[in-house]
Amino acid sequence: MGRLELGVSLRHGRSVASHQFHQGALRVLRPHYLDDSGQVCYVVVNPGGAYLGADLFLIDVEVEDSASLLLTTQSATKVYRTPGSFAEQCMTVRLGEGARLELMPDQLIAYREASYRQRTSVTLRPSSSLVMAEVVTPGWSPDGAAFRYQEVRLRNEIRVESGHGTQLLALDNLLIRPPLGDVAGLGFMEGYSHLGSLVVVDARVDQALADELHRLTAGFDALTGISLTRTVGGTTGLVLRALSNSTGGLNRLLGTCANLLRERWYGQGALDLRKH
Amino acid sequence: MSYQLALQQLTDSALPTGAFAHSLGFETYVDAGVVADEASFSGWLSAFISQQLTYSDGLAIRLLYEGGELGELDSLLSASLLPRQVREASCKMGLRLLEIGAEVFPSPALERYRGLVAAGRAAGHQPLAFAVVAHSLGVPLQEALAAYLFATVTSLTQNAVRAIPVGQNAGQRVLRKAHDDVAAATDTIARLTPDDLGAVSPGLEISQMRHERQRARMFMS
Repeated sequence: MGRLELGVSLRHGRSVASHQFHQGALRVLRPHYLDDSGQVCYVVVNPGGAYLGADLFLIDVEVEDSASLLLTTQSATKVYRTPGSFAEQCMTVRLGEGARLELMPDQLIAYREASYRQRTSVTLRPSSSLVMAEVVTPGWSPDGAAFRYQEVRLRNEIRVESGHGTQLLALDNLLIRPPLGDVAGLGFMEGYSHLGSLVVVDARVDQALADELHRLTAGFDALTGISLTRTVGGTTGLVLRALSNSTGGLNRLLGTCANLLRERWYGQGALDLRKH
Repeated sequence: MSYQLALQQLTDSALPTGAFAHSLGFETYVDAGVVADEASFSGWLSAFISQQLTYSDGLAIRLLYEGGELGELDSLLSASLLPRQVREASCKMGLRLLEIGAEVFPSPALERYRGLVAAGRAAGHQPLAFAVVAHSLGVPLQEALAAYLFATVTSLTQNAVRAIPVGQNAGQRVLRKAHDDVAAATDTIARLTPDDLGAVSPGLEISQMRHERQRARMFMS
């Protein structure tokens, strides 16, 4: 079990933690600043090293008006065997007016006979900016075979809160259940082993940006698709999905796209997440 | 017997919803040379039935039949159909179905859906428009699901016959083979949970997204 609460607000041009609480097997390392933009970076740590059956991890993040948070993890999320049960992570995110979150966790590795559910629920304003990346590996098993886990379920819900109430912008639902059939082949993983996804929600997202990112991904050894969500309250989402054969390859692809946005929108340099 | 002819009219491939203009992603596989003949199209169709038609269309129909709130289900489809062309195709065909339904199978539930769309509070998705009409006609859920799934499969196969191309008889063999997949899908749909809505495989989604940027295309999706 683990619980983590983190609130970030803007003080004198720098984003700082205004609320912090942790309990059980989750905590954050001391904050650092990767550049002079004022964006604060927190690294989530699971000292237990892995998720087990019936584990429940609750993460609550609030980025207040105009503040900026980069949230990452110290290492891959590993889910060990969860016989007859599952491990679960529920993350709730609230972004205020002009608030910004980059959520760049390490890859997910589900071990043989593991079941894992991850639910991320984001509520943001039309003026907020969200970038979230994710890499799902084919897992780990003692004989080296891929897709030996029971189930991986990743659900991202993004809602926009405006004067007209709160409306669902995107529901990004991924369900991989290897025991139920061929997940590696045609129409599922298309012969690839790793899945990467990038979700961007920002009022500056438009078709030209989607096309530009698509051209950018052409240089990578991956099968990539990019599309826009519907527009709610003046803000739009962009979803990128990529299939490839390594975590490193997907991290480079997703990183290149995220870096283009950092550079263009915030004048920040490329993200260098050498783990501390 | 009372609803049989109505259901046949509703699921006939000549129903003018514009299904002939949509490949729902298979044209991307054709362009890449992955789908090139009867066997490979049949394989793609099987994946499409067990993914898209099961986790999105089929489950949405079931949830509506079980009393799910129409506006909320409409919003969930708009949010979970991430490939833009597929989302637009669902609304384009759905709006036509709402129009045709109002002409030939009017009902208070259908008028309500049309009202939500007119007020900008719903987008008008094809599976929900179908479910509203079928439910108002008294079609039982299992029959409605099988009919909807097979009607979609028939349109896609007719489109594949033209686009790949494959022979007319090959198309019929593909359809016959799809019977088992449709039957399996209706069983699976009955066991899903509301949380499963929209859990379409990444491979299908990527192809549907890539279709937006394909150079030469016969289809709108």
